[in-house]
Amino acid sequence: MPNRLLIKQFLRSGIAIAGISLFLLTGIISLFIGKSYLVKQREKIETTAAYQQQHIERNVQYGHSEMGLLLYYLRFAYVNSINPLNGLSIGQRDVNLGIQQVTIRNLIEKKYDSDLNNPASLVMGNLDFSFVLIYLFPLLIITFTYNLLSEEKEEGTWRLINIQSNAAKKVLLQKWWIRFAFVTGTLLLLYLLAIPILSIPINASYLAMIAEGVLYILFWFIACAMVVGWQKNSATNAVSLLSIWLLLTIVAPAVINSLITTKYPVPEAMATVVANREGYHDKWDRPKEETMGRFYAHYPQFQQYRLPAEDFNWLWYYAMQQMGDDDAAEHSVAMRNKLLLREKLSNTVGYFIPTLHTQLQYSLLAQSGLKNQVQFLDSTTAFHEKKRLYFYPKIFEKLPVLQEDWRKHYAVEYFKSEPPVNWIKLLLPLLLIIILFTTAILYNLKT
Amino acid sequence: MNSTNIFLIARQTRKQILQQKAVWVLMFLLAAIIGYAGITGLLQYKKAEATRIGYQQIVRKNWENNPDKHPHRMAHYGSIAFRPKSALSVFDYGLESYTGNAVFLEAHKQNTTNFSEASLSSTMLRFGEMSIAMVLQLLLPLFIFFIGFNCISQDRENGTLKILISQGLHPLHLLAGRILGIATVAALVLIPAFLFTMALQLFVASNSAVWLQLIMAFLIYTAGVLLYSGIAVLVSAWSNTSKLSLVLLMGIWLLMMIVLPRGTQTLANTIYQTPSKIAFENGIDEDIIKEGDSHNPDDQHYKGLKDSVLKANHAESVEQLDFNYSGFQMAEAEKMSAQIYDRHLQRLIQIYKKQNRLQVYAAFINPYLGIKQLSMAFSQTDFNTYTHFQQQTEGYRYALAQAMNELQIKLIPNKKLAATDKNYSIDKKYWAGFHDFQYKAPSFQSILQQELLAISSLVFWVLLVGALILFTSKKINVI
Repeated sequence: MPNRLLIKQFLRSGIAIAGISLFLLTGIISLFIGKSYLVKQREKIETTAAYQQQHIERNVQYGHSEMGLLLYYLRFAYVNSINPLNGLSIGQRDVNLGIQQVTIRNLIEKKYDSDLNNPASLVMGNLDFSFVLIYLFPLLIITFTYNLLSEEKEEGTWRLINIQSNAAKKVLLQKWWIRFAFVTGTLLLLYLLAIPILSIPINASYLAMIAEGVLYILFWFIACAMVVGWQKNSATNAVSLLSIWLLLTIVAPAVINSLITTKYPVPEAMATVVANREGYHDKWDRPKEETMGRFYAHYPQFQQYRLPAEDFNWLWYYAMQQMGDDDAAEHSVAMRNKLLLREKLSNTVGYFIPTLHTQLQYSLLAQSGLKNQVQFLDSTTAFHEKKRLYFYPKIFEKLPVLQEDWRKHYAVEYFKSEPPVNWIKLLLPLLLIIILFTTAILYNLKT
Repeated sequence: MNSTNIFLIARQTRKQILQQKAVWVLMFLLAAIIGYAGITGLLQYKKAEATRIGYQQIVRKNWENNPDKHPHRMAHYGSIAFRPKSALSVFDYGLESYTGNAVFLEAHKQNTTNFSEASLSSTMLRFGEMSIAMVLQLLLPLFIFFIGFNCISQDRENGTLKILISQGLHPLHLLAGRILGIATVAALVLIPAFLFTMALQLFVASNSAVWLQLIMAFLIYTAGVLLYSGIAVLVSAWSNTSKLSLVLLMGIWLLMMIVLPRGTQTLANTIYQTPSKIAFENGIDEDIIKEGDSHNPDDQHYKGLKDSVLKANHAESVEQLDFNYSGFQMAEAEKMSAQIYDRHLQRLIQIYKKQNRLQVYAAFINPYLGIKQLSMAFSQTDFNTYTHFQQQTEGYRYALAQAMNELQIKLIPNKKLAATDKNYSIDKKYWAGFHDFQYKAPSFQSILQQELLAISSLVFWVLLVGALILFTSKKINVI
């Protein structure tokens, strides 16, 4: 059986064992990096939960006599929940703040707060599993295949054998299969190890990640086969394949990113901050009736609460705070739509670029991308509104602080989304590219 | 005689490289990417700066146009500072996409600087960005490795190496000539890239210091070109075949540019752990409660303060004081909380700096990290520049809050108003009296001082490669 012989030949070349062990090791390291990331995120959430109770207890104890004053201070945490798959693809989660702390006052002022992070670390990127898969695995594949054919020729074994002959084709195909099997096996082993290391539940999202990963590997094997089929020497193959790698992992994504940033700049961000600040603060100088009129128009259910004669009143104060959000709403929504446009265009371009597609799909499945961030912000708005509507009447009716059962506010609330896997959008782009390349190879072999 | 040999070899090497059509194709591609990167860099700079300046002016105009009011209202109205882009960000984006762009500055509270480009981007950004510096840092070295991988090994393979040496050519001259030859080809990319950057500067609001920074950047990249050319020649000299040399150089490139930077980052973040935002803020809150919380009516610090002020002024109650007590208390609270905040922030920044320091130490192993750091620093798009900006915004915030407290202390009466009375206010003329936010970039000298270690890592590498060349020239295998 020639197959076994070819396997032995492959394994005997030191590079096979070394490459596979190196990748297993790197892969496992990346899984532990993901794990330590998850642990840190969970710690943050636990700290937040403990702090929330302490914070509420302390402020209630201060004896703020009025509900209005107490709720000026009280913050409620809202957490973007952590999917274990996040450990495989950290995505943009290290950039964005995953734990919001909102008061029932003006939301927009707080909503876009950034996390504490070291920009110099962010710019380097994470050594997570998605990096190992997207950047490094192709290099292993290139190393294993660039001299698949040329090696035999250069070492003279094949001088007399015609590549067109069926026997030669069969041997080549077998050699290719062996390498594909070993690399895919290594990858699958990593996916298997990830389950206990990151406590990943086996669900559609994870199966989707595995399927996408295997297809991505297959794409690279096909691409390598295509270059090898051109029958150039080893050095040319290596350079061509590295150039393809460079184009797909560095040049193309960077060029497309700058195109998208230039096409969709987000000046709405600045407009939002400015409008928000003016919207609230200038109400101090405007007639109270005007502010109240707008407040009642927004919340007709609170029309029964009227302003007394005193200069300062909490009803008026919270109506002013509300105006900060109302005046900036238009810009804030425009910004949100701009972000979704950026996301959409990224995805569309990604269909044609396997590296980009895999990265974007991984961050979609792990809920670590821009879309998740936008959804979290939307959900934060809903959470804030819920809190507002709960406390507004209590403030306006001047209910005593201690009448409220504060214990029920101790628990932190979570945003959770588990979007269904869109298998077609996930797999079809890569499948089409693979089919296209395979056709090219078959055509090349015939002529 | 000696040096002419080097130049002869250099010229021959250059000719040989430039004979290959592929080299011209690659140079054309690099030039195209540089052109694209420069133009998009400039467009983004222009757009961002126009937006920023526009909003900064609106913010100032709004500040001055505020009507008569209580100064404490103005302290809360505060200001918004927008981060200006560095003039050389058209050359090296550095960290600018990961640093915040706008910060709301108000009394009592240090807000985060928000809306970094990264927070508005998909994960695509994490593949990296296309700037001229990126081409020079990542792609130019690869180009150098590509044109230099066979510069000695091929001579050995086809026997010319033996002939050259037996004709009396000193191996050191051969190696030096090869390095020079490769470097001069790389200069055909490097020099136009810098001329282009200088041309771009004409469209950017830059000051004269920029030219000095550009010269430094040019020197750094020139050292880089020599260094990478040296590495290519060394590997080629020690490899038995050109094929091996090529594979080794590609491996070195991948390790230096792709794997090690992320590895170093992970290591730095593991060794130097930073607190979470919640723990950081919690720490500040706890210190404020411990040292004096002006919002707590029973706070001991502020009770003591009040008693001592009353005693010193021989007053029974604050209403008898001839200055506004609540303004005085707020000035004290602002001072205390700003100090506590600053203490915590400095601690945090020290951790970040340690993380970044590790990257610079790692530059002694991986020269790419040193070049990257220096390029960012001299382009003023690095961590220190950002910290510098944040310090200035916090300084401005504090000055604004205290200026408003000062107005309150002087101009607002102590007498408590009845609930139905309109609050005290002061004339709007005072607002224009407080200066606008003006960002000052770090000086050239301060950058130089900060980056001494990174510069020495580059010097170390040049010396190391020089020494290895010398060593190789004595041990070179001619057949």
